[in-house]
Amino acid sequence: MGQDAGDVARRLLTGEIAAGARAIRWLDDRDPRGPALLAAVYPHTGRAQIVGITGPPGAGKSTLTDMLVAEWRSRGMRVAVLAVDPSSPFTGGAILGDRVRMARHALDPGVFIRSLGTRGQAGGLSRSTHDAALVFDAMGYDIVVVETVGVGQDEIDVVNLAHTTIIVAVPGLGDEIQAVKAGIMEAGDIFVVNKADRDGYDATRRQMEMMLHLRAQSRPAQPETPVLRSVAARGEGGAEIVEAIAAHRTRLEGAGDFARRNGLRARAQVINLVKDALTARALELGGDAIFDAVDARRIDPHGAAEHLLRQLDERIIAA
Amino acid sequence: MNKRPLRVLLAKLGMDTHTVGVTIIGHALREAGMEVIFTGLKQTPEMVCAAAVQEDVDVVGISTLSAGHTRSLPRLARLLREAGAEDKLLVAGGVIPEEDRAVLEEAGVDRIFTMGSDTRDIVAYLDQWWAERQAEEAA
Ligand code: B12
Repeated sequence: MGQDAGDVARRLLTGEIAAGARAIRWLDDRDPRGPALLAAVYPHTGRAQIVGITGPPGAGKSTLTDMLVAEWRSRGMRVAVLAVDPSSPFTGGAILGDRVRMARHALDPGVFIRSLGTRGQAGGLSRSTHDAALVFDAMGYDIVVVETVGVGQDEIDVVNLAHTTIIVAVPGLGDEIQAVKAGIMEAGDIFVVNKADRDGYDATRRQMEMMLHLRAQSRPAQPETPVLRSVAARGEGGAEIVEAIAAHRTRLEGAGDFARRNGLRARAQVINLVKDALTARALELGGDAIFDAVDARRIDPHGAAEHLLRQLDERIIAA
Repeated sequence: MNKRPLRVLLAKLGMDTHTVGVTIIGHALREAGMEVIFTGLKQTPEMVCAAAVQEDVDVVGISTLSAGHTRSLPRLARLLREAGAEDKLLVAGGVIPEEDRAVLEEAGVDRIFTMGSDTRDIVAYLDQWWAERQAEEAA
């Protein structure tokens, strides 16, 4: 396959799967061809609805995703899935097993599933997830599902990425609700109690509704947040969830918030990229000497930062 | 983690439900810093090929303990070629009788690791292949 960024960009814009797959690999590996590729495809983005799916381990996120994909396909929509699993902090290796639950879509040309390791990033996503979602958007997928790592605590990142965030819980595990509450309760757009045939469904649902009631008091202008039930392993509840996701998009679009969320996401990414690049440059200028000086208490951390920034300024002026 | 991790797809074809070997290999590769994508059991060569392309893996690894591999592996190798993915390394392990070896290698299986193979040898082989591949690309 052609290994030139322009060529891969051109081919992925026609929907070619191998080209999209290679693009995501470059972005994930931080290959120097990644930025040029993104520049070429970015004008073609902004149409896909990015749907985040998060919740504690064992909530059945992959099985739920599998069911939703089937439901979207039955409505003729094309779907891409980014399934994120944790990388080992010690070796960098990972076992990415989310495809197992989605095997029935393996030969469907309207479904593209990609597994990503977190590669040292906290927050439930990999550093490349935003960019990978843009690639799928440019390829013309109607829906991009982002399934986060199941840590259940502070998976805040997906909220910044997705147009619509779905929070999945299961009955009978009170602690999991606590974990969900601590993290992203604030931001969920649709709540799903999966494995709803289990004991404790009513209690879990009530807990969710109570928390949402509290949330609504601080944000009275917001429309009511749906709490839905599913038994994904048996294919129950998919239609209602897919309809709620579509309704959420319609509501966002009506308020001008669909484009606004894209804009906010892009803005946050610009800021992060500048931050990373400036930090790298400043550290390069300072070398180890500045840290040695801090260690020896000849300069304090604030002073050291000031010093590096001044050096950076001077270099910019000199250039 | 600036070095590019090797991405490996691990799959089992057909009705073969022996899972111990493939699980051990998955963990060994993860401990060696590789990204392992499991497709699960009961895959067809077509499914494995589609997954290998979507995941843009470097290596496709098939574990086979219930025979049938003299048909399924050559078919997979052909599908990968047709998909323009012949640059991916195709390896197999499990219960593979000596007399099947030539057929499989002829069909495009790059390396076979049978029963009792040391996982350290498997890791070392993949590491070396990856180092050579990256050196080739850099050149
Ligand atoms: C345990 C076992 C079972 C268990 C499996 C449990 C499970 N969840 O895995 C159970 C009892 C369920 C079972 C069932 C059957 N089994 Co059985 N089973 C075995 C046994 C005893 C050990 C297999 C094992 O786990 N080995 C340990 C692992 C670590 O070794 P491994 O898989 O070979 O993996 C190593 C290497 O091969 C290599 N490797 C393996 N995969 C890969 C992949 C890659 C990418 C790489 C690089 C390397 C690699 O690395 C590993 C580490 O060294 C073998 C006999 C044997 N000695 O192999 C028979 C054996 C495999 N079974 C056999 C048979 C016939 C069956 C049944 C059909 C029996 C029946 N009539 O019902 C069923 C069918 C199951 C099915 N549908 O596939 C035959 C297969 C004959 C053949 N291929 O021609 C064997 C060889 C026994 C025999 N001598 O007859 N079995």
